[in-house]
Amino acid sequence: MKNLLGRSGPKIVILVTSIFFLLPLLTMTRFAFQNVGVFDLSWSKAFDKWTFSIVTKPFEDQYFTDSLYLSFKIAIGTAALTLGLLIPTAIWVHLRVPKARVLIEFMTVLPYVIPAIALVAGIVVIKPHARWFLNSDLSLIPFYTVLALPFTYRAIDSGLRAIELRTLVDASRNLGAGWMRTMSKVIVPNLRSAIISATFLTVAVALGEFTIANVLLKQTFPPFINEYRMREPRAGYALAVLSLLFTIFIFGLLSVALRSPSAKSHQNSPKSRELS
Amino acid sequence: MGNSHNLPPETEGAVAQAAVPSLVPKRVQTNRARPNMAWIGLVPFFAFLTLFLFIPAFSVFSQAVRGADGKFTLGPLREGISGQNLEAFKFSIKFSAGAAFVGVLFGTLLAYAAVITKRPKWLRSLIASFSGVAANMGGLTLAFAFVSLLGRQGVLTKILAALGWDLYSSNFGLGEIPGLITVYSYFNIPLMVLVTIPAIDGLRSSWREACANLGGTTWTYWRRIGLPVLAPSIMGGFLLLFTNSFSAFATARVLTDNSKIVPLRIGFFLGGDLSVGEDSIGYSLAAWMIIVMAVCMWLYWILRRRAEKWQS
Repeated sequence: MKNLLGRSGPKIVILVTSIFFLLPLLTMTRFAFQNVGVFDLSWSKAFDKWTFSIVTKPFEDQYFTDSLYLSFKIAIGTAALTLGLLIPTAIWVHLRVPKARVLIEFMTVLPYVIPAIALVAGIVVIKPHARWFLNSDLSLIPFYTVLALPFTYRAIDSGLRAIELRTLVDASRNLGAGWMRTMSKVIVPNLRSAIISATFLTVAVALGEFTIANVLLKQTFPPFINEYRMREPRAGYALAVLSLLFTIFIFGLLSVALRSPSAKSHQNSPKSRELS
Repeated sequence: MGNSHNLPPETEGAVAQAAVPSLVPKRVQTNRARPNMAWIGLVPFFAFLTLFLFIPAFSVFSQAVRGADGKFTLGPLREGISGQNLEAFKFSIKFSAGAAFVGVLFGTLLAYAAVITKRPKWLRSLIASFSGVAANMGGLTLAFAFVSLLGRQGVLTKILAALGWDLYSSNFGLGEIPGLITVYSYFNIPLMVLVTIPAIDGLRSSWREACANLGGTTWTYWRRIGLPVLAPSIMGGFLLLFTNSFSAFATARVLTDNSKIVPLRIGFFLGGDLSVGEDSIGYSLAAWMIIVMAVCMWLYWILRRRAEKWQS
């Protein structure tokens, strides 16, 4: 009896949790794409009236494209600012001030301590003093960079740890390369997977952020879906399903992108060199 | 994560430099002469954080200690934890602790199941990847999904009603404690899976064999070895899930208008049309929230250091 429990216990746990994780997604999908009333729940009708035509409906709404466009602009800006700020900083810390490493790491987890709702409270306070900046929709970019910091800095930092940065830099400098050339030809190619994952994480954060945009009344995509769902429930749910699929797609792309170069970049790691 | 194993080479280097300066005079001198210059490279990063994180955070506190007349007073801070606001904090702490407990329990079980299930091989990586997506899925999509499942018109609500269990006849609601715990488990369980898989991987099979050789049962193994080794990770996970639930805004905002949820309450004060003076309550709540978060993250930091001992 005990043995049976020990053997099938893990399977039961996995089964129960997967039901919990799949059910809400299934009902949301059904609600979005099956054109029947919520009360018609009999099995015989379970496969009736499925239609995907609902996904074209949001395009009739001008705010849909506007908000989506704005969110993509912000996402790209956030990714650019994140990489432009964090890569030089992380390299500098590794090469010149390793003493600062713990301090920087501590700083990068501060957004957990000051969550989005508290951060936006602070933004509301400074708003009267910086209207010229905060009135622009793109002013969300630096704040989203802050929110993504715990994930992005860690990605870049662990990427730098995996390579022998000092050796690479010294070699490149000895061969006569300047700092710009060393960055673009040596460091960045070696950080490929770290840069890819930092970018995807930033884009995911920036596209999904609701709190700050909602309080500051910015018309990005998440507040738009929320408001749209009240007007057009089914199309709103369809958008939510699509954005979820998009997130899964991004993460899938991320794991594929990280798999292929990792084989290559490991050639630089000390272990594979010992082996060869 | 995993920064402790990088410390030894640095400390060694520092010791070597300090101990034998005469052997490598030039190197040491250049390093000594420019330590202050090196910090300049961090100025852009600190300037950025100051502008977009520290100043807003500081402004919250400065507003929270200002009365209607603009003078310093602790009044708003005191009001932030009295009356209805205190009720809100109690409510939020209660459901966040509940959600963290459920997340820790099922997250650890699922992580353990994922680690020990060897076949099919892809199962573990599927669970890990799905956890990566689901842990970040908080917000609108999640709230929508649960409204369609357990809302007043939700599919499961209807099915249960047809079976004779009317959820909404009692006090159930997606904005009340059991509802919030259910919904938040959706991102808490995967987050727990992500943070405990490395810890469970750190449990070595030789420990179990040693325990068995000394005559211990499975129960002895867990009580004396497994759980004590996992304990810092589990407690750290609890704090992480607690802060995660306590500070979540988007999910709660879509699910409910319940003003007993502290982040929503802050949002109402910030967006609301309030008379002068009353608005400092919103900042006071935000200040208290930062204090709660800071205490939790400080404890988390300590526990994580301890947990990493076994994960090298």
